[in-house]
Amino acid sequence: MRHALSALAIATGLIAPAIHAEPLKVAIIESLSGSQTSTGRMYSSAARYVLEQMNEQGGYNGEPIQIKDYDNGGNTSGAASQFRQAVADGAHVIIQGSSSAVAGQITEDVRKHNIRNKGNEIVYLNMGGEALELRGDKCHFHAFHLTTTAPMRVGPLVKVMAQEGDLGDRVYSINQAYSWGQDMEQAIKSYADTYDYEVVETVLHEVNRIQDFAPFVAQIQAAKPSSVITGNWSNDLLLLMKAVGDSGLDVTFGTTFLDQVGNVANAGKMALGHYVAHPGNAELNKDPQDAEDYKAFSGHYPVYVEPGTINGIRLFTEALRANDFKGGDIDVNRIALAMEQARLETDIGPVSIRREDHQAIMPVVVSRVEQGVKYPADGTDMGFKPIQVVSPEDAIYPVQESCRMRRPD
Amino acid sequence: MRYRFLLLALLVVALVVVPPFLGLGWQYTLVNALIAALFAAAFNLLMGQGGMLSFGHAAYYGLGAFGVLHVMQLIEYGDSRFPTVLLPLVGGLIGLVSGLLAGFFAARRSGVYFALVTLALAQLLYSLAPHWSGMFGGEAGLSSMRMPSLGLDFGSNLQVYYLTLAWTLVCISLLYAYTLTPFGRLTQALRDNEQRVRFMGYNAHATKVLVFGISAMFAGIAGGLTAIANETANYQIFNSHVSAQVVLHTFIGGSALFFGPIIGAAVITVFTFVVSGVTHSWMLYLGALFVLVMLFAPNGIGGVIQAHVQRRDSLPWRRLVAPYAVATGALVLVALGTVFIVQSLEIVFSEQYRAAVARTGQYADYSLFGMKWALFSPLTWLTPLLPLVAGLLLLRRTAARIRELWAGGGDPSACPPKVPGATLRSRA
Amino acid sequence: MEFLIVSTMNGVIYGMLLFMVSAGLTLIFGMMGVLNFAHASFYMLGAYFAYTLSGLFNFWVGLIVAPLLVGLIGVLVERYMLRRIHRFGHAHELLLTFGLAFIFEELVKLFYGNYPVNYRMPDSLNFAAFNVFGADYPFYRIFIGLIAVAMFALLLILLTRTRIGLVVRGAERLPQMAQALGHNVPLVFMGVFGTGAALAGLGGAVAGAFFPTNPNMALELGVIVFVVVVVGGLGSLAGSLIASVLIGVFSSFAVGLHWTLAGALSWVGLGGWAEGVGGLLTLPLSSISGTVPFLLMLIVLLVRPAGLMGSKN
Repeated sequence: MRHALSALAIATGLIAPAIHAEPLKVAIIESLSGSQTSTGRMYSSAARYVLEQMNEQGGYNGEPIQIKDYDNGGNTSGAASQFRQAVADGAHVIIQGSSSAVAGQITEDVRKHNIRNKGNEIVYLNMGGEALELRGDKCHFHAFHLTTTAPMRVGPLVKVMAQEGDLGDRVYSINQAYSWGQDMEQAIKSYADTYDYEVVETVLHEVNRIQDFAPFVAQIQAAKPSSVITGNWSNDLLLLMKAVGDSGLDVTFGTTFLDQVGNVANAGKMALGHYVAHPGNAELNKDPQDAEDYKAFSGHYPVYVEPGTINGIRLFTEALRANDFKGGDIDVNRIALAMEQARLETDIGPVSIRREDHQAIMPVVVSRVEQGVKYPADGTDMGFKPIQVVSPEDAIYPVQESCRMRRPD
Repeated sequence: MRYRFLLLALLVVALVVVPPFLGLGWQYTLVNALIAALFAAAFNLLMGQGGMLSFGHAAYYGLGAFGVLHVMQLIEYGDSRFPTVLLPLVGGLIGLVSGLLAGFFAARRSGVYFALVTLALAQLLYSLAPHWSGMFGGEAGLSSMRMPSLGLDFGSNLQVYYLTLAWTLVCISLLYAYTLTPFGRLTQALRDNEQRVRFMGYNAHATKVLVFGISAMFAGIAGGLTAIANETANYQIFNSHVSAQVVLHTFIGGSALFFGPIIGAAVITVFTFVVSGVTHSWMLYLGALFVLVMLFAPNGIGGVIQAHVQRRDSLPWRRLVAPYAVATGALVLVALGTVFIVQSLEIVFSEQYRAAVARTGQYADYSLFGMKWALFSPLTWLTPLLPLVAGLLLLRRTAARIRELWAGGGDPSACPPKVPGATLRSRA
Repeated sequence: MEFLIVSTMNGVIYGMLLFMVSAGLTLIFGMMGVLNFAHASFYMLGAYFAYTLSGLFNFWVGLIVAPLLVGLIGVLVERYMLRRIHRFGHAHELLLTFGLAFIFEELVKLFYGNYPVNYRMPDSLNFAAFNVFGADYPFYRIFIGLIAVAMFALLLILLTRTRIGLVVRGAERLPQMAQALGHNVPLVFMGVFGTGAALAGLGGAVAGAFFPTNPNMALELGVIVFVVVVVGGLGSLAGSLIASVLIGVFSSFAVGLHWTLAGALSWVGLGGWAEGVGGLLTLPLSSISGTVPFLLMLIVLLVRPAGLMGSKN
């Protein structure tokens, strides 16, 4: 069957047959079925977009890069299984984004694989797992975190909201009761003194299980906040904002995932004026052709996780270019070392890797939902207007002490 | 009987000899298939033998996995010298204890209410687990590394495979032996007529609790094996999907047979592995397969096989060959037609295709099975519809013919079922 | 006081929504003994059909036609699937609906994709009904409540005051007798299943415009609806109503209750110890409120399986 699969892949032009040099094999282990499918496909298509561009320019190591999708079904056991399959297929690099839990599984699998298979290491590019733990306790040399974390989103968010006069001095923190929500809550509290606000109440609620957010609105209303900061995503964000909008409360939302596809259309006019901190916004591209190219490739302009993923994978291709294996065997460790040195100049600022924990140091864009933007969202007349780009130095946070990375000799 | 023994021996030999020649992905899939088979067999001890339908077996499976991971962590950090090969025992022990406890409550109810108690228990655990990070490691879960034991380092997948194979074979043999013991007979009696068991002086509740405990014990061993294979587990292992999966496996395989669920679990795990790489709609196919089995072969695939084996001496095999061949052909036609339609829909309704339509204003041709298809051409839709309809009609006619042969050719004493294998008692 | 009033209102309305979906489920179980695992899928189908229809025509057409379509699907499921395997017992019927739930979810994903679709209430319904303590109360919430009440009244009248209701109740109590009296019992079952499905579809068509319509909505509501029917008493309409409102009000209040087990233990002087242990003992109720319905369901099943209002089985 594996032969049949690869035959299929060859037939559809995904993988070119190897003839001479060792081709670089990239495995995208994403959630392509199950409830997180929509996000999973975005990571996959953004990563593929950059890598196929590289292939058009001649590939890598004298061969086209072989890219293959693996469906992890949105759960850790699926990820574990597909990881083995990817190893069997000889993958050098694993790309994954949706779900911190899956990221945790894969980063551990990669770590153990590399301990047991010296000389056949694998590099893991984490495009979306934002849990701090992945760069703390679970950090290791072969894992690179090319996405933001809670402090990297909250800092810029409150900074820009304060500048715009939309933050106020009473901040309400409402988040999901798991590590991401706890990271968010921690970050929201930690910036209180810097930006001179009081956290009037913190709430952690069940993840993606609440149908009716009206009771939370009653709570928010009672606390009389000036703004609400939340790391909620998917339904939890949409329902919360709709419930607040329905009640006519005058608060500004500072969010991290408002740009998820479908949110703006679903929230309608009540989305206007709220903020999101995200790793990129297509409106800031200096060359509009970039977004057009991406649209021609995937069917839509780059949104949500895509701008960040495109930048992250581009940084990776920089690291690839720094190593020339001259058509010989590929040494993954050298690519990893080059990753630490790589630097990518993007339209919004430089992206690089912090050596100590392999967290990307990257600019963060804070945008506000407005009408008359360049790339309207979800077929509405609204979209994300970039307000300010916060520089990488301002967005980054200190290395966690829990990260003790063992480097190859 | 001798044939069966020979067949089993052949299978075991194949399971031992073949894997070293397979790729890593296949080896791992076989590990999963073995674990799923053991899990299904454990589940079916409760369902098939005891007549108790549990919708929450993920709980005992998961608890077993977490128990093993805790011990694995102890070994890894040097606080314990527990041999790695015996780790599944820990899962079994935890499964047994938690199963006895849960069974004590669940067995006080029967039928749908029993199923609901098991569902509630599992959901309770599922919703609590992510908050209890000391025990279940938050949403990231627990992680550990297999440590060398008995001269084996368990670094390679193949070693894990043989460990899993050994445990699965031993456990399934034990489960089979169980059905032959007097207690196993009592379990079946409980399923068929609880009242009578009670009148015979047995404590029905205690028996049920014990059956539940034993079933949960083997589920825990299966969970422990997953923990060893994956070296991680998180609270998602308690998800109702996991409980649902074992139900699907068991009934597609056929719960009335000992080996039905084992076959079902193994076949579906491999099927999933193969199909999920090719299409995103594999869950749809799996669901459809389940519903079809429920409708047309309520005793599952195993039940169909058993019906044939039971009547091997009375069936007019020679006259059945032609209709069976036709029916198989018709099934292939129906399957091809359905797959064509579903895959076409998957492409046409995909975001990419719709966006392309919105951008260019026209419905571009799409490629499927290596050919280009025009969306609005009648040819595109006749291609799948023709085999589909022809297959269905053919199936209808041959099914009637097969039924006739089944009814006519047998000995008059055996009452022939209407559908092959459709002789399940009511188990409400 | 503010919190009390607003929370009660929110809870009752949410409870009414739960009732709309659970009414059909309990009706089907009461009449036919089938625990329909696909019931929440009917709710989801209702929302999606209404979305498509509201795009083609308008919101009101969707609201009326979508439940009818879902009812039709229910009728087909009963006639061509459930009836076929009725003789194998309830467990088999349950398993069949369980498989159908899978298929419905996957079909929805196939046709509508994985994103939430943009199904919204018309502007004519999108206004504030009144103002409570400085916050608007959306009219649509009241609209949901009104529809649920109308539905309950209609069902009650239909079942207790009409000839159809008499036949249906007869067919439930003594199917053979009803058959012998010349009533078409299979037709009654088909009608009941169709009606139950249509009611769930109506719930979806109404609620989908307020809560997002996405492929996970069946899964999210499904388990809670089970809890409602069990707590209310399988087969009891009135019980479902009470349980729905109870659970609705509970989930509404739980949000504001930061009770912990440690807090409870401090009453007996063990607070300090509990704080030290941490873990589950210090979790506030508000962040594990999703757990409580299952606990409730478990207790009801063990202590009084007939539920609040059900008759002993």
